[in-house]
Amino acid sequence: MKTTMSSLSAFGDSSIQTPSKSRIRQGCHSAGPNVSGDHIHLASSSMPSFPILQRSSEEKILYSDRLTLERQKLTVCPIIDGEEHLRLLNFQHNFITRIQNISNLQRLIFLDLYDNQIEEISGLSTLRSLRVLLLGKNRIKQISNLENLKSLDVLDLHGNQITKIENVSHLCDLRVLNLARNLLSHVDNLNGLDSLTELNLRHNQITFVRDVDNLPCLQRLFLSFNNISTFESVCCLADSSSLSDITFDGNPIAQESWYKHTILQNMMQLRQLDMKRVTEEERRMASVVAKKEEEKKRESHKQSLLKEKKRLTINNVARKWDLQQHRIPNIAPNQDRKVSDSSQDPSQLHGSTVSAFPEETGSLDSGLANALQGLSVTDTHLVEVDGDTLSLYGSGALESLDRNWSVQTAGMVTTVSFTFIEFDEIVQVLPKLKIKFPNSLHLKFKETNLVMLQQFNALAQLRRVDQLTIDPQGNPVVNFTLWKYYVLFRLSHFSMQKINGTEVTQNDMIMAERLFGILAHVASSELPQYRMISILGDARKKQFRYLLETKGKKPGLVNEENNDSKRLVGENTNRAMLNYTTRDVYNERLEEIKEKKKFCKMYMEDLVKEATEINMKNEALQKLWPQMFIELVRDAVIEIRNKNSYMKLCLQQITDQK
Amino acid sequence: MLSPERLALPDYEYLAQRHVLTYMEDAVCQLLENKEDISQYGVARFFTEYFNSVCQGTHILFREFSFIQATPHNRASFLRAFWKCFRTVGKNGDLLTMREYHCLLQLLCPDFPLELTQKAARIVLMDDAMDCLMSFSDFLFAFQIQFYYSEFLESVAAIYQDLLAGKNPNTVIVPTSSSGQHRQRPPLGEASVLEGVEASLFSQCLENLCDRHKYSCPPPALVKEVLSNVQRLTFYGFLVALSKHHGINQALGALPDKGDLMHDPAMDEELERL
Repeated sequence: MKTTMSSLSAFGDSSIQTPSKSRIRQGCHSAGPNVSGDHIHLASSSMPSFPILQRSSEEKILYSDRLTLERQKLTVCPIIDGEEHLRLLNFQHNFITRIQNISNLQRLIFLDLYDNQIEEISGLSTLRSLRVLLLGKNRIKQISNLENLKSLDVLDLHGNQITKIENVSHLCDLRVLNLARNLLSHVDNLNGLDSLTELNLRHNQITFVRDVDNLPCLQRLFLSFNNISTFESVCCLADSSSLSDITFDGNPIAQESWYKHTILQNMMQLRQLDMKRVTEEERRMASVVAKKEEEKKRESHKQSLLKEKKRLTINNVARKWDLQQHRIPNIAPNQDRKVSDSSQDPSQLHGSTVSAFPEETGSLDSGLANALQGLSVTDTHLVEVDGDTLSLYGSGALESLDRNWSVQTAGMVTTVSFTFIEFDEIVQVLPKLKIKFPNSLHLKFKETNLVMLQQFNALAQLRRVDQLTIDPQGNPVVNFTLWKYYVLFRLSHFSMQKINGTEVTQNDMIMAERLFGILAHVASSELPQYRMISILGDARKKQFRYLLETKGKKPGLVNEENNDSKRLVGENTNRAMLNYTTRDVYNERLEEIKEKKKFCKMYMEDLVKEATEINMKNEALQKLWPQMFIELVRDAVIEIRNKNSYMKLCLQQITDQK
Repeated sequence: MLSPERLALPDYEYLAQRHVLTYMEDAVCQLLENKEDISQYGVARFFTEYFNSVCQGTHILFREFSFIQATPHNRASFLRAFWKCFRTVGKNGDLLTMREYHCLLQLLCPDFPLELTQKAARIVLMDDAMDCLMSFSDFLFAFQIQFYYSEFLESVAAIYQDLLAGKNPNTVIVPTSSSGQHRQRPPLGEASVLEGVEASLFSQCLENLCDRHKYSCPPPALVKEVLSNVQRLTFYGFLVALSKHHGINQALGALPDKGDLMHDPAMDEELERL
């Protein structure tokens, strides 16, 4: 292709470039007539399509070290002859597809191939002096063939199609690396760039950055408009002491609420963030916020530990419960584990007791105390207060009701939940519950062995119950058709709102009364008085016995008890007849009565013997009497037969008596 | 009152027959139990109340099972009390399981044994599918038979087993028609190619049982009546027939007839008042 003069003159208009009177003429075998110009170098080239560059010797002297071939519509690199001392070569804005024919320019320091169509870095292996290589806006897919360019100072590869940073580890003098507007998805492999001070990675698809801390001189890092969303993905930046300038704008991370202070906190060395100076105020804020976050993390870690411990304990309690209920066979190793675990108990209990009762230690602030959840965690039972709910797992947990609960904590509890505890055992601590947790309105039972309707009678002694939840698991009583009605009937004085989550309707109450009303009536009106007194008396006796047992009776408490008992007598006396005594207590009582029964039997036998003896005597008398009577009469008649002698006899008897 | 038969019995026997001693012993025991409370209003009043309640049948309420079982009168009173208190459940039409009925029984007697309820349920369900639901009247009548005549029924069961096994507990001499049976002991499975036992033979055995039995048993005439209607019958078939027989129910005197089971105007009035 022949070039024309006009294009050559265009050369002259560009700025830096040499006023050229040089020409490029394509060399060909059929060497045609030269176009023009004084110095025409006829180049015989083996490659038919390469043009050959020639400059006038004037230019050569004036601009001996620089050559500009901007916008020359070049599609290939021309052969440049006789310019071996060239130091600056500019091929901007052409259509060059391959870097060629510059191997001879071994003094080249500055090579600019910006805005061409180069697809591969090649042909540079001889340019050992090259310091600036500008390959922006090309079609380069890979960084390669830079092995010999050890003096490279600036490498510009922006606007290409590079997907990976590679083959740059030997560029130990490189100061600026521009990889903006490429296809990088991550950054690593940055070792060896010991002089790098600026790294431009704008407008890529980077999701994480690694190895930046291996760059000892890196000061400026531009990561704008990438795909970084967490600080963890760029955490190596924190370890780079040289970094002073960084940009993250246009990344998802910059939208986060914690963005600024996280970056500032982790990179104390930064002076500019997103092209804005970092003020002292910002730094201070960042550290404060970071500290708070650290605290929060520590807290949540502690919580999760506690939760895990809780979970383990509950599992253990469940296992023990199942064993108790003979649901699973008793395995010996289980016992051993419990023995070894119980030796740990004292320390655990102490540890958790201290944290559980700030009132006793008197040092922790109330906010933290309320936040603490697990109050007592041992291997056999668990007691937990969570705001308004007191949860008890395992029968050992019932002892915790004896502790000194702070009025505030106890007052807040409105729900009490029992799991893996025998209902009969719960019944015995209900009076304590009434006193210690006066606001408990909602009771929940799960796996508590509720089997009889009668057991609900025991709940009547509480002050008030608003809601009752009986979990079907472990409570066979729920399978009965009538259980809810019985509860509503027996505990009608509570005016319960909800049972097992469903609201109690007026119809429910009416039905309950209809079904069991007669039972109450019979219990109250048809029992003889002494039975009534004895049954009621039992209930009252139990209450007073508990009162006497608790030490430090408060005067207010005694009054309350009196009120309660008064209420018991006044309201719903007919229901009050329906009591529940646990099986053990009942059997105990029957045992006690056995002695009395034996005595009674013996006593009655004695009475019967006496009575029968008397009866026998009576009968015998009845039999003998007629005979005896006749004899009496006969004797008397015989005596009076002779009137005179009888008179004499009587008189004699009277005088003898005197 | 002063009928000659009454005076004809010797002392202990008379007392035993009327269970006088049981009540006297229990009264004294209750007295001892509640000394403090009763001393308030006097022993005489206590005895009055006690025996009044015995007459009315309310003495068994919330008492232990051993007492309830002690005399026929107690048992009948208990049945009546159960009917009175839970008639409404029946009226409501609810069908309940055996366990639930047992629960209701326990409301009146905390240590009522489960076996009795189970046996009663077996009568209703014909020994099949024990988790089935039962109606109040079915259960009540079956329970009545089982509870009131429990010892009698045990003996009957024994006789039945014997008959099934081919042994005749009565006499050595066996009518020729079944002479082949009594020497051999065919395995139980084969014995009932025809189900159950011959009604007439069974009836004979039961008659003898009634004569000998100390404990109460259904009126022999009625038992005979039940057995005369069928050729063969099974054990549970017999029990079901007993439970459904009006005459026996009336003879017991505890519960009203089946038709009137849901009616109790006095209690309904009370219910309205509540």
